[in-house]
Amino acid sequence: MPLFDLQRVTQRFGDVAALAETSLSIYPGERVALVGSSGAGKSTLLRLLNGTLLPSQGEVWALGHPLGRLSSRQRRRVQRQIGTIYQQFHLVEPLRVVHNVNAGHLGRWPLWKAVLSLVYPLERDRAIAALHRVGIPEKLDARTENLSGGQQQRVAIARVLVQNPLVILADEPVSSLDPERSRDVMALLRELVVEDGKTLVVSLHTVELARQFCDRIIGLRQGRIVFDAPTAAISDAMLTQLYALEDEG
Amino acid sequence: MTRFLGFLLLSVLLPLTACAPGSAPSASLGNGAEDAVVTQPFVTGAIPDQDPEKLQRLYGILSDYLSEELGVPVEYKPVTNYAASVTAFRVGDLDMVWFGGLTGVQARLQVPGAEAIAQRDIDAEFYSVFIANTDSGIEPFEDSAGLEALKGRSFTFGSESSTSGRLMPQHFLQDAGFDLSEFRGEVGFSQNHDATIQLVEAGTYEVGALNEIVWNQRVEAGAVDTSRVQVVWRTPPYYDYHWVINAQVTERYGDDFVERVQAALLKLDPSVPEQAEILDLFGANRFIETQNSNYSQIEAVGRQVGKIQ
Amino acid sequence: MTSAPPQTPAAASTGPVAPTAPVWTAGRVWLLVALGAIALSLIPTGLFRTDVVNGGGLPQLGRFARASLTPDLSAEFLAIAGQATVTTLFYAVCGTTLSVALGLVGGVLMSAVWWQAVFPQRRRPFGQVLRLGLAVPRAIHELIWGLFFVNIFGLDPLVAILGIAVPYGAIVAKVFADLLDETPRQPLQALLNSGVAPLPALLYTLLPQAFLDLLSYSFYRFECSIRSAAVLGIIGAGGLGYEIFLSLQSLRYEQLWTLFYALFALNGSVDVISALLRQRLDSPTRMDLNLKRQRSARAGVSSAALSGQPGTPASLGASRSPAWERRTRGAWGLGHALLTTLRERLWQALPAIALLLIVILIPVSFRWVGADYSKLWSPRTATLLGDVVRLATPIRITAADGAQLLQLSLQTLAMSVLAIALASVGGILLAFPAAYTFFLPGGLFSGTRESRMQRAIAWAGFIATRLVLLVCRAIPAPIWALVALFVFFPGILPGAIALGLHNLGILGRLKAEVIENLDQRPLLALQAQGAPAPSVFLYGVLPLTLTRFLAYSLYRWEVCMRETVIVGLVGAGGLGRLLTEQLSSFDYRGLVVSLGCFILLTFGVDAVSGAARRSLR
Repeated sequence: MPLFDLQRVTQRFGDVAALAETSLSIYPGERVALVGSSGAGKSTLLRLLNGTLLPSQGEVWALGHPLGRLSSRQRRRVQRQIGTIYQQFHLVEPLRVVHNVNAGHLGRWPLWKAVLSLVYPLERDRAIAALHRVGIPEKLDARTENLSGGQQQRVAIARVLVQNPLVILADEPVSSLDPERSRDVMALLRELVVEDGKTLVVSLHTVELARQFCDRIIGLRQGRIVFDAPTAAISDAMLTQLYALEDEG
Repeated sequence: MTRFLGFLLLSVLLPLTACAPGSAPSASLGNGAEDAVVTQPFVTGAIPDQDPEKLQRLYGILSDYLSEELGVPVEYKPVTNYAASVTAFRVGDLDMVWFGGLTGVQARLQVPGAEAIAQRDIDAEFYSVFIANTDSGIEPFEDSAGLEALKGRSFTFGSESSTSGRLMPQHFLQDAGFDLSEFRGEVGFSQNHDATIQLVEAGTYEVGALNEIVWNQRVEAGAVDTSRVQVVWRTPPYYDYHWVINAQVTERYGDDFVERVQAALLKLDPSVPEQAEILDLFGANRFIETQNSNYSQIEAVGRQVGKIQ
Repeated sequence: MTSAPPQTPAAASTGPVAPTAPVWTAGRVWLLVALGAIALSLIPTGLFRTDVVNGGGLPQLGRFARASLTPDLSAEFLAIAGQATVTTLFYAVCGTTLSVALGLVGGVLMSAVWWQAVFPQRRRPFGQVLRLGLAVPRAIHELIWGLFFVNIFGLDPLVAILGIAVPYGAIVAKVFADLLDETPRQPLQALLNSGVAPLPALLYTLLPQAFLDLLSYSFYRFECSIRSAAVLGIIGAGGLGYEIFLSLQSLRYEQLWTLFYALFALNGSVDVISALLRQRLDSPTRMDLNLKRQRSARAGVSSAALSGQPGTPASLGASRSPAWERRTRGAWGLGHALLTTLRERLWQALPAIALLLIVILIPVSFRWVGADYSKLWSPRTATLLGDVVRLATPIRITAADGAQLLQLSLQTLAMSVLAIALASVGGILLAFPAAYTFFLPGGLFSGTRESRMQRAIAWAGFIATRLVLLVCRAIPAPIWALVALFVFFPGILPGAIALGLHNLGILGRLKAEVIENLDQRPLLALQAQGAPAPSVFLYGVLPLTLTRFLAYSLYRWEVCMRETVIVGLVGAGGLGRLLTEQLSSFDYRGLVVSLGCFILLTFGVDAVSGAARRSLR
């Protein structure tokens, strides 16, 4: 059974179709890269997958559930199995790192525990373990706003680790970082996904990284899938076409 | 900073939870059936027409006296404005209040079964006086027609709800065909009798109206410079101050409780030193009986002036 | 009316010639409207028709003023004053705590972002509905709430606490909702997307993000609560207001002044502590009015997530704000090292000290005030509420009532306009000498080489204006009204003067703060060009500050409108005086109608002030 199943999905913003008539399946264990220039519909696709957006037409199934037909409580239960990492990290800067990491628990924690933990951080061991895996255990009690961009992205990844979802979505996770950091972060993501047997869907602006770290690449252009193939089958010609067409448009 | 947030949350929540047990004692009053010692106190009050410190002292002595006579704890709760004393009587926070004529009627109209039970000997024939600053050149007059002389003068009442400081003076003015707009400027409300004396004496207002008893007491005590302010007119008599009791007290203390309170008040004897002090502070020789019907004139005037709806 | 100033036809047709500057800009239209309103407002004061000044009261006023030099300092009375001060403080703490708690809940429920989090797919107008609903408790003054609560809770401290907490809770809720809505929401969205329920998501994102602003505003509310607790004392909550009222009624001016000094001390110290703390937390403005631009700029920086951004509280600890730097330099000269270290330590520890104070003060206050909270849900309260509703209905208005109400409403409006005109102009005039960045040594308009004498004069002027502002705002408006009534006949003029003086104190300080937080670089650039001080003032200071001054004044006008009722209660004119008569006549139906009038009036003023403020942006 696929983890995600898009059936003839169209997403319009006003008159513009950000995604048009798209069908797609993603299976457990895959590492999928979404490539294409900005405005191609990569972010829209990811937002449809994690339930932020409900499509204008068609249906999105995630983990065997039709997202559009769930109550908000049911949808939340599905969303707990989907972790998302963002280009701008979306961390809460005035909070200490431990709280941002612990935010990964919030889908499961009862309210009293969430409140108590803000006063008295709970499950510090798991937070340290997660930070250890992303390589910055010493930052546990640092204030998030004092961290560099690469460190903040690691905290965001640690948050997803604590959330422990079946699938990780990453929306341009490295575009705010320099090339060196980018490779580190991507290597880290791949390592975590492979070790824990998770699924990864990542949108990238460089084909290099996609080829290096993913096993399936989907090319998007103006809201449509141009190609969808295993990394090995991706030819330079296909890529040239993806971006060249773009220039003409 | 998070810790700061946490502490703040806690410090907000703590007192809230802390008040929960705080309400327990009052709740236990009801079920503590075996200890009959804890009787709900009989609460008295008074309209704040005089210096509150004096009221506090006066009612302290009176509470002790009543407590002894009635065998129930008696408490005095100070109130800061006329309307609040009526409201507190209506909602049952005050069981018996020393009201003025108007406030007594207002209170009885809002509390079914409330009863006027006692007044001072002087209250059956009560007077207001109009006083004037001597610089104003207004001469004392006998007849209400003399009120004509007040036209074009500045004028102050006492409190809005005062019978002797506002209601009856306004009534007698209107009876004499005098419209309030004929004074100079808007009329003032000094809020109490002492303030009226001082403001007229100082010349802030040329004329004022107040309770004759307060005037006499202040003159006797030498607190008034009679070369600066004098009485120009004494109104006809009317009923004023009286004790009003809420009939519901019989449910708490027994059917004859109203009569017992009345008896205790009437029994106050000027020849017993402690009791003489109470009477003296009230400015009375004795308390005498009164009844609701004595105040129908006040009620009529109240309605005419618009203070009773 | 604001957005499209009429174009002069000439400018439209002449083609390539340099375009004529439009004559009717929005600003000028508003200026004209304001001047017209002030002129019209002078009519109902009766200034030109009847006697308004009561010369007979001058000696009394003199006695009052002279007593300021000989306050009653007997041990007995000092004890009373001390206890009253503590009472006022404790009531303010309780009122603030409850209003912040209410405001937090209400603010979340009123915010658009909350309902968007709960119903991500559909728009639900609950927030707006609640916003409209809470406008009513906001429009009614604390004092009126207090008088209402006496009717359902009886004689209990609860009356005063709720009297503050209900209207303030509604005000805090509105401000909090705006703050939450203006906070970047991506972190919230991120948590919601990973299946976190709205409430914990909010706790972990928006609340900590907006925390400093929320805290800063809560402290400002505390300053306001102190003033309100003093006013509520007048209806019998006890404390300084009550004692002041009593002393004023029995015309014991010496005692009155002792109490005034206690009030100044209380107000002054709370204001100073609160200001220091906000500065330490880098939220120097009391209210973020009309400051959307500034706020979004800051939000932009934080969402860009650059490390070590300037101006965050963390970096503040290391490099103190320039304002502080200036102040320390100005205030203590070059001060020796030990003192500096000590001050540094204190500065660092300030939040901890404040926290400790809060943690101690809140439970102590609640215990001391000792309100009977069981009354909130007791059946008696429900019965009494029923009684009040029964007494207040059905409402009927006759034509005569209508005419009277209209007249009084206009008078009240006029009173608020005159009050804010006085407060606004006076506030601006006093704000400049009261700002430490101006005439003090090291300030913008002080010469570089000043004699000791000039410096002393500058300092004396600074301290004197600050004191005047403190006195003005610390004395509650009804007390000012009673003082004004010495020399004016009852009417809207003494009311307007009283409100004007009180609000002048508040506005003057807010405006001084605006000046102190001014970006100095453009001014220094002008000065470096060799522009003389008056030109720097006209071309630099005024343009940089005027908009915000006006925004504050307009905001304060709304507050003035609310407060007209309390000066009315002590005998100044307008709807307030009618309310007093109705209160003492137990005319509940009439009361409802008058209050309705009052609420409409407040809404109207809010709307006009809001429109004017928007056109200022």
